[in-house]
Parts: sequence; C-alpha cells; structure tokens
Amino acid sequence: MRIVVGIKWVPNTQAVRFDPKTGTLIRTGVPAIVNPHDLPAAELALRLRDEYGGEVIVLTMAPPPAVQGLEHILGMGADKAVLLTDRAFAGADTLATSYVIAEGIRKIEREIGKVDLAVFGQETIDSSTAHIGAQVASWLGWPYIYYVKNAKMVNGALRVERQLENAVETFDVGLPAVVSVAMKALKARPVRLSHKLRVKLEKPIIVWSNKDLGLDPRCVGLKGSPTIVSKVTYLPEVPRRKIVYKPKDPRDAARWILAQLFQDEKTREALHKALWG
Amino acid sequence: MPKVDCGKLCPEWPCEQPDEFKNVWVITEASEEGVSEASLQMLTPALEIAGKLGSKVVGVLIGYNVERHAETLIRHGADEVIVVDSEDLKEYYPEVYGQVVVDLARKYKPEVILIAATMRGREMGPYIANTLRAGITADCTDFDVDEKTRDVLLIRPPFAAIMLAYIKTPFRRPQIGTARPNVFPVPPADDTRKGEIIRETVQVRKTRTRLVSRTILKREEIPIEKAEIIVSGGKGLGGPEGFKLLEELASILGGVVAGSRKAVDAGWISHERQVGQTGKSVKPILYIAVGISGAAQHMIGVREATRIVAINIDPEAPIFNQADYGVIGDYKEIVESLIEELKKLKEAGPEAVDELIKEYTIQEAAVQQG
Ligand SMILES: Cc1cc2nc3c(=O)[nH]c(=O)nc-3n(C[C@H](O)[C@H](O)[C@H](O)COP(=O)(O)OP(=O)(O)OC[C@H]3O[C@@H](n4cnc5c(N)ncnc54)[C@H](O)[C@@H]3O)c2cc1C
Ligand SMILES: Nc1ncnc2c1ncn2[C@@H]1O[C@H](COP(=O)(O)O)[C@@H](O)[C@H]1O
Repeated sequence: MRIVVGIKWVPNTQAVRFDPKTGTLIRTGVPAIVNPHDLPAAELALRLRDEYGGEVIVLTMAPPPAVQGLEHILGMGADKAVLLTDRAFAGADTLATSYVIAEGIRKIEREIGKVDLAVFGQETIDSSTAHIGAQVASWLGWPYIYYVKNAKMVNGALRVERQLENAVETFDVGLPAVVSVAMKALKARPVRLSHKLRVKLEKPIIVWSNKDLGLDPRCVGLKGSPTIVSKVTYLPEVPRRKIVYKPKDPRDAARWILAQLFQDEKTREALHKALWG
Repeated sequence: MPKVDCGKLCPEWPCEQPDEFKNVWVITEASEEGVSEASLQMLTPALEIAGKLGSKVVGVLIGYNVERHAETLIRHGADEVIVVDSEDLKEYYPEVYGQVVVDLARKYKPEVILIAATMRGREMGPYIANTLRAGITADCTDFDVDEKTRDVLLIRPPFAAIMLAYIKTPFRRPQIGTARPNVFPVPPADDTRKGEIIRETVQVRKTRTRLVSRTILKREEIPIEKAEIIVSGGKGLGGPEGFKLLEELASILGGVVAGSRKAVDAGWISHERQVGQTGKSVKPILYIAVGISGAAQHMIGVREATRIVAINIDPEAPIFNQADYGVIGDYKEIVESLIEELKKLKEAGPEAVDELIKEYTIQEAAVQQG
C-alpha cells in the first residue's frame, strides 16, 4: 500500500518561555522540531508498510527549512518525501493548508501512483486545532477516523481501534481513507544512520511549488484563509481563590473542603453527580 | 455588513453574502438516553451570541430515536429544533453525520454554528466547516460579537491557556466554532417554554466505514485529559501505597488519579498519567493536588482546571498560592477522612449537604485570604 504521512515542522513549544514582565512569549532562539504528535503517525505508517509492503511518503507544506523535518522521518525509514513550498502558501489557516495538502496528495496519485491511506498526527503543539485530518478527508471525499491507536488490514479494509472519552471503538475503514493517530499512541522508532546515508546519496525529496500544483492563488495562503486572528492577549496568571485553612483535625479538614466545594457553584453539580448520580 | 467581492474569492468556494445567513445553531450529540450535557452547555454561548445578533437559537438533533429529546433543547433555551431522525443514523460516522449538517446548513444558511468540543465534536467539526468552505475555530472558551459587522469573535487559548487568540471570519459564513465542555453552564430549564420542531429528511450518505465494536471504558481507564475530576499525587505521598488511597478517593468522586513528574519518576504511577509541561494538560472541573509542591512545570498543566484543591503539610508550599482551596496537614489522615465523610454524605443523601454548609461558610473559614 502507498501511505502518505503529513507532518509539521514546529517551534518546540516546551522551549518557549513566558515573560511575566512583558506578558509575552519568548520565541527567539527556540529550536524547531517535528511536531511530536506526528511521530506516532509516522510510526503507524511505517509499521503498516513493513507488514504489508508498499511505500511511505512523508509530506509537509512549509517553508524550505522544514526539509529537516522530512529528513527526520526519512531517517526513520520513510521511502520518499514531498515538500510543498511557495511564498503564496504563507499565512494559511487550516482550510488553505488542508487544500494544498489534499492537492499534493492528488499530484502524488498522478505522478507516483494511487494513495491508499493518508495518516496525520492528532494535533500540532503550536496550534492544537486537530483540523487537518478531517479537512483533507473533506477535500478528497475519503472516509476518516480520529484518535487511532493501532491499525491492521482485515479482509481488505483497515481495522482501527480508537479511544473516546468513555469508550473504545473498533472500525473497519474502506480504503482510501484518512486516519489521525492518537497522541502518544505508539513509540516512534529512532532515526537510523543507514537511512540517513541513503537520504544523502539518493536525495528522495521532491519539491513542488504552486506552479507545479497549479492552484488558484485566491485558494492558498492568506488569501485562501477564511479565518483571521484579530487580536491576541496574554493571561500571565490564572485567578485563584487562594483560601487556605489550618484544620483542627483531619475530620475538620475533610468537612471544610467538602463545604467549600458544595458551596461553590463551579463544583457543586459535579459533586452531586458523583455522589447521587 | 460589508459586501463580499466574489472576484476575490477562491473559485472552489460558493460566493455568498454574509447577510444571506441567519440564526445560531447548536449541533447536539444525542443518544436514545438523551442529549449530552456538553451539547446542552453550548446553548449558553449560543443564547448570548443570538441575543447580541438579535437572532434565534436553533438546536440540531441528529440520530436514531432522538426526536423526543427536541423538547429538552427547547426547555433549555432553543427557539427551534431541526430533527433528522433516521435508522440510517444509528451509528455515528464522522463524515456521515457531518454531511447531514452540511446539507442542512446549505438549506437553512445559519450565521453561526457551535459544536461541543468533545472528541466526536472535534472530529466532525472541521469536516463540516471544510465541506462548507467556511472557517472553524477549535476549543473556544469564550465568544464575543462585533455588533457593527455581525462578526463573531471566537476566543481560544492556545499554548496551555497562556494566550488568548480572538479569531473571526469576516467574509465567510457560517462562523463555526467548537467550544470546550464544562466552560459554560447548562442554561436553566423552563418547562413552560415553547418552540418549533422541524422534521427534516435528508439523504444519508453511505460510508465505507463500519463499526465493529464499542466497549464502554471503566472509570479508572478514562484518560486524564478527559476526566472531570482528578485526584493527583506528588512526591509527598511518600510511596506507591499513597496512590491506593488516592484511587479510593477518585473512585467515590467518579474521577481518576494522576501524578506529578516526581511521582512518575519514582514509578508510583504510569507516565500517561503525568500532569505538566512534559506530561499532559488537563481540564477537569476539580483538581485535587495531594503532596504536590506546585512547581511551575507542574502548574502549567492545570491552568485550565476550573478549581484546584491543595493538601500539603508545608504551609509555605507554593501550591497554596495557586489553588482555590488549600488545607495544611498530613495527606494520609486528611484523605482518609475525606473518603469517610464522602461515604457518609453519599449514604445520608443530598439533604445532608445543607447541614455541612451551615457548619462552614466560606467567609468564616477564610482564615488566610491571599
Ligand atoms: C524541563 C522540566 C520539565 C518538567 N516537567 C514536569 C511535568 O510535566 N510535571 C511535573 O509535575 N513536574 C515537572 N517538572 C518537575 C518540577 O519542576 C517539580 O520538580 C515537580 O513537579 C515536583 O513534584 P512534586 O510536587 O511531586 O514533588 P516536591 O516538589 O518534592 O513536593 C512534594 C510536596 O509534598 C509535600 N508533602 C510531603 N509530605 C507530605 C505529607 N505527608 N502530606 C502532605 N504533603 C506532604 C511537601 O510539603 C512538598 O510540597 C519538570 C522540570 C523540568 C526542569
Ligand atoms: N503544514 C502541514 N503540512 C503537512 N501536514 C500538516 C501540516 N499542518 C498540520 N499537519 C498535519 O495535521 C495534523 C493536525 O494538525 P492541526 O490541525 O494543525 O492541529 C498534524 O499532526 C500533522 O500531521
């Protein structure tokens, strides 16, 4: 099977610090990484290829430095990579991003061959919208499923297991399809030196600009994005009640806590539900 | 309202003017048992937005054997309910349910669509928006309206709620957002309210997906990022047996246990249950931090907890400055007492709460307001 994995090259938000004085995020000098939630997605794709044959193509829409992210997934063992890059793609929201990704997948189908599965991470650490998987499915008209923990082929369909808030579900998904892989679902394999050497020798990275995709400039980047960020504010500290109690004895402590929680309109209902349904 | 210049729009999108759209929709999740709590909560921001726009709130109810729940939506504030009730909708598949909403939205042209950001809502929302070629904003915690342009500001907290981004879609309608469960209350029910119920039949799309099985999770298996009540333990528990006690408390509260990094590193609890910068961000209604000092890397993971209770032996522990209700003392005895008191309350019934509250009013107990 031919599997496309979408990844994003993102600032490492763990290294982004918050400056309480200015109330802004300090992003300078923050290194970029492959979005951590895309690694389980790549791992799932590689496992499926290892089991059933075929190839894994890693794809990103991004400025050129994201090649490093593609190289990381190639280093894990992906077969090919596609970089969709163009000034015209800048400033895209998720609708415009997913459009370019979907068109990239269509071009892969035209030039390389039929795609059976597109795999995405659940969300990115820099925006956490979890939009792209569903949007790509919408553009392509493919079925899709989120929060996938593992997958295997059963009678020609992809059998996936996923977990919701309160249930575990198993689906058979007819291909081609889109799946988004749950965060931390699988441990990603390490990058191997032999793969990295192959990347150096074979340069399996295809670069397509908007000229190659031939998309109307009104449909991509900022122009193709319905959403606009009109303002950003910062919340340095969450307001808390900060009521501290020194109890006479443990029973007093317990009863005091419960009295507060039952008087507090934010928690009262949850406690009622827990105790008396 | 500004006019949209069709020549500037992507030709993949239908060109429509914002003033062709009206009403605020809430897409609800319902089963035979009823409408989900998270969906009812969406009526609160919907009523607020509709109030500012001077429009109606419309509930959209999709599924099989769900029609009788339309009244529930009306009692809680919907002016109208559109019902699509079909055996073909017995099982939920995101693109199938999503397509039903798309077809309805193409017919009725809502100005705003709100969806609870449950896992299914987050799955279905972007499909609906994309198929309508509209924008969508995920996980909103607040909304506002620019009354001049009728633009809804969809407010979301990326970066663990350190930031608030105000997002609008000035030249596209509907304006679509998913909103966090447990941020908004369910509007109070009014049994005298009347509303119109509109039955719609739509061609339900076939899918290549088939549900093979569904198993309901046991309480203790619920992932911490989805739990409404969390009892979390730190280094102060002193050992793994401390977590047995916390699990007992969590079980009475219908919650789950979690831990600090030090508790995880000590091997007392699994790493999927770590809260914080290198663990998970959680959004419970109640977070009970037991024997946790309140380090910044831990607290970043609980910014979105509605209320925090801290139990710590050290009166100087930084967590007391970042919690709503703090109690100074040895956790073991306090948690044991909590379990005992909760058992007694459960037995005695909701009436016993009054007595408890009489004993402690918030003002009297506030020995140390910070
Ligand atoms: C890059 C980085 C990332 C990190 N990421 C995380 C993260 O994701 N999550 C996280 O939690 N930490 C994280 N940390 C670690 C963090 O800085 C703290 O070290 C950690 O949170 C402390 O855990 P603790 O509160 O359980 O332990 P401690 O700080 O040791 O606190 C134990 C507390 O228990 C109290 N106590 C002791 N005995 C009792 C008793 N009998 N009854 C009641 N109270 C008692 C003590 O007074 C004390 O306040 C990170 C650190 C770094 C540098
Ligand atoms: N620019 C991009 N190029 C390729 N894939 C992406 C891009 N942005 C997001 N994705 C994929 O979509 C998933 C969800 O991202 P998001 O909707 O931004 O939270 C990510 O985990 C990636 O797999």
